[in-house]
Amino acid sequence: MKLKDSLFTRRKFLNTLIGGWLTALGATIIQPVIKFIFPPYREPEEVILPAADYELPGPNSFKTFPWGSKPGILKRNDDGSLTAFVAVCTHLDCNVTYLPEQRKFYCACHDGWYDENGINIAGPPPRPLRRLDVIVEGEKIIIRRKGESA
Amino acid sequence: MPKQSFREWLETRLGWGQIVNFLQKKEVPRHKHTLWYYTGSAILIFLVIQIITGFMLLLYYKPTLEKAYQSVTQIMTEVSYGWVIRSLHHWSATLMIAFVFIHLLSLWILKAYRPPRELTWMSGVILLFLTLAFGFTGYLLPWDELSLAATKVGTEIPSTIPLIGRWVTQLLRGGADVTGDTLTRFFGLHVSILPLSLILVLGFHLYLIQKHGMSVPLREEKQNRPLPSYPFWPNFLLRESVFWLILLGSLITLSLFLPRGLGQPADLMAPAPVGVRPEWYFLFLFQTLKLFPATILGIPGDTIAILLVMVAVGLFFFLPLLDTDPAGRKGKVITWAAVAFIVYAVVMSLWSVL
Ligand code: FES
Repeated sequence: MKLKDSLFTRRKFLNTLIGGWLTALGATIIQPVIKFIFPPYREPEEVILPAADYELPGPNSFKTFPWGSKPGILKRNDDGSLTAFVAVCTHLDCNVTYLPEQRKFYCACHDGWYDENGINIAGPPPRPLRRLDVIVEGEKIIIRRKGESA
Repeated sequence: MPKQSFREWLETRLGWGQIVNFLQKKEVPRHKHTLWYYTGSAILIFLVIQIITGFMLLLYYKPTLEKAYQSVTQIMTEVSYGWVIRSLHHWSATLMIAFVFIHLLSLWILKAYRPPRELTWMSGVILLFLTLAFGFTGYLLPWDELSLAATKVGTEIPSTIPLIGRWVTQLLRGGADVTGDTLTRFFGLHVSILPLSLILVLGFHLYLIQKHGMSVPLREEKQNRPLPSYPFWPNFLLRESVFWLILLGSLITLSLFLPRGLGQPADLMAPAPVGVRPEWYFLFLFQTLKLFPATILGIPGDTIAILLVMVAVGLFFFLPLLDTDPAGRKGKVITWAAVAFIVYAVVMSLWSVL
């Protein structure tokens, strides 16, 4: 009887040891695997556009520019200033377009509408379009993430 | 060494006689609803066609941002019979998904998931999701305008799940946005991860079906008399093969007369094209999403919609455990739920295209 008991305990001890070791091994392996499958991503800090290409003469004219892997829209306001938006719908991420005649942004995916200031006015979009800061510096137009302009 | 025939030599090494024996003894019950037994093997037929045409397309397709669209154009215009193979791959996928739905819904209504077949049902639901994942990943691969926009929306939807949503979206996309990385990722899923998973789960599913035999509808079971049956080999298989031939004929006809087209090349910077729509099997979800208002009581409508869908999926998966009294009232309600679901899906799908 005694022998049987002690054998059982020894097996249990070894099982725990192996189980613990496997768990620890699994934990150390899983962390880098998860890290690996999520790619590194950084949104651009800023984008510099040559002013010559983005003259935008009249009020209400606009042009798109690449903001990382998303499109951005640079638009001349009525008072002559410039506004930049990330041209991606806040609903489900479709690219939006600006319709100058109607002074609205339009998303074709589920009929989303924003006014000329990027405020969501109709359809499913829950939030206004994201705005970016615009700084004109001589020959360059610098577009920065909101609130990060030095 | 005594002389053996080649057949005996093989038999000693493989032991295949057991399988032949098994097939000869296997009986398929015969009743009013025997027809529904054919839906399972229809799926298998299309799966085999998907694998073969998929291998063929792999010879020319290039899963990168620069080359994807161009290589599909090449398949369509230069490769001999390329357009036919691509069209077959598309239509066979369509029919396969259609039969997966028919298969599951008919089993739901006939309550084939009654004990001891609960796990057969659950593995079947997993197979449904794997099949849909094949459809979703494959849709992006031609990299045209519509497939890009539909994938953007499709991969953005999980991000509305509270807490883990953003994470899931990034995982699917291989980044914050749909880019060339997403294309490469979807390709890997479509040709390697999903096929391997499918084979594993399918093996399990088929094993269970062999183990438990065919389920007999409740009404027949209650009559307590032995049901007539056919031997699986050759009677049932020959009957089935007639059905397969009809399916094959329909598939080829559809592929030749309604060939799959290709839209404008995808442009990451272009505004979404008008008329973005997912494939038909996602239409009812698409329409549901469209009907939800932007916010309900301060909670985003999409979040509520997706949580409801997740609950529905959970109920569907655990259906065998919920239907504890198949012959009673609860069982009837569950059967009617299937009918209600069919009506809902059809109405919503039609609504979204009209
Ligand atoms: S993605 Fe723009 S309205 Fe849905």
